[in-house]
Amino acid sequence: MGVVVKAAWQTVTFAVAGLTVALLIGVPLGLLASGVLVRSPAARRTSMITARFVLGFLRSIHELVWAWFLVAAIGLSPMAAILALGLNYAGILGRIYAELLTDVPLEPLRALRASGASEGNVLFFGRLPMAFPDIVSYTFYRLECGVRSAAIMSFVGIAGLGFQLQLSLADLHYDEVWTLLFALIAIVVVTDTWSSAVRRRLTA
Amino acid sequence: MTPGDQPQPDAMFTLDGVTRTYGETVALAPMSIRIAHGERVAVLGPSGSGKTTFLHLLGGVIRPDAGVVKIDGKDLDSLEPGRELASLVGFVHQQFDLVPHLPVMHNVMAGKLGQWGLLRSMLSLVSARERNQGLEALARVGIEDKAQERTSNLSGGEQQRVAIARILVQSPRAVLADEPVASLDPARAADLIQLLVEIAAETGRTLVASLHATEFVRTYFDRAIGLRAGRNEFDIPADEVDDELLADLYDLSKADDHGPRSNRGASQGSPGGARTADGPPAGSVPPQPRFRTVD
Repeated sequence: MGVVVKAAWQTVTFAVAGLTVALLIGVPLGLLASGVLVRSPAARRTSMITARFVLGFLRSIHELVWAWFLVAAIGLSPMAAILALGLNYAGILGRIYAELLTDVPLEPLRALRASGASEGNVLFFGRLPMAFPDIVSYTFYRLECGVRSAAIMSFVGIAGLGFQLQLSLADLHYDEVWTLLFALIAIVVVTDTWSSAVRRRLTA
Repeated sequence: MTPGDQPQPDAMFTLDGVTRTYGETVALAPMSIRIAHGERVAVLGPSGSGKTTFLHLLGGVIRPDAGVVKIDGKDLDSLEPGRELASLVGFVHQQFDLVPHLPVMHNVMAGKLGQWGLLRSMLSLVSARERNQGLEALARVGIEDKAQERTSNLSGGEQQRVAIARILVQSPRAVLADEPVASLDPARAADLIQLLVEIAAETGRTLVASLHATEFVRTYFDRAIGLRAGRNEFDIPADEVDDELLADLYDLSKADDHGPRSNRGASQGSPGGARTADGPPAGSVPPQPRFRTVD
């Protein structure tokens, strides 16, 4: 049991670390890709096309493929797994954030501009508050995906549920396999519950 | 709060030969009008008559196709779109157009965004800056107890009060209200119009409001402008408005050839009729929205 809890904790840690990297890269790129900070159409188009291209590139390479590349580049280490997760997820998060920030009701934004707000102010007083509940719940969903991916990443040498799963499967200990799978399910359920609790507080 | 009660040589708004079209649709035929400081003007007319276009032209939200718009004596093109314009005109909209997710206080303080830089406004979201002004404004519109509530939890009438409180904080020299009470029940509507007019009167602000509820015009306004099909049908002192005049204004069978309706009808009906509009064939002209904003 102690092994399972430890492995589960490790998996969660990797998922959180990967998601952190993804946020660090995805948030600025998503902002650029949404083009909401610039008013001039030419600058907006440039910013959107460039950022969308980068996001698309990050996203189109699966995290496992990223892991192969990174293992080749920096060796078999947890860092490789975290970066692999982070790069792929940055592409996904950035794209979704860009869309959530653009798909908000336009009338309140127009009213803010009429009060003299700059696009930066419109972002913080209009777009972000309106898009925030969706941004949060999508990020939580990605955390959930991250847990699953982190479990699979065991074969590039990170510890955690996937690694234990591999060992148990190799030893034909199916009872252990089930225990580990239940741990994985438990993590997903907990993340989901947490996510809806946070979302409920945001939209209450 | 600096009201514009000192006498000014310039009018608050001057339109000189201003026109605006959307595709084939003439939203506003050439119009010249002067609105003095402190005047309270009601704009009347059926839906699609160009009331919103008129207000948006006055407030510099859209630009005219031809003609000159002057706000407080300054040519629209010479005004800085953000903060300078916001110090001159504030808008109240039919659908309130507040950010529903934010607490009331932030929606009120958004009136300051023209003066605040990015950092200041971000800090303000963490802990409201210049709260007192916001609370004062909320007290003036009678909902100071709602300051911390989520805006979407308020009723329609209360939300419109929040929008008015935002205008108080923004403190422009003129208030433009586009059917501010159209989505409220009659009792709430009367209260709100009264509030708007009182606030304008207290501070010597100009108020231009488009209305459907014409019973308010004689009580609260100085002057009435009637629009139909983008043209100025009448421009008279408010106490001369009577039911016959209004029935006439709202009688759409009288809409003339230059109007949006008959214009569209023409492109569908008469085959190559001798119309001024020599546009694309019928069906290719989508119904135009009544207004559009310019980024």
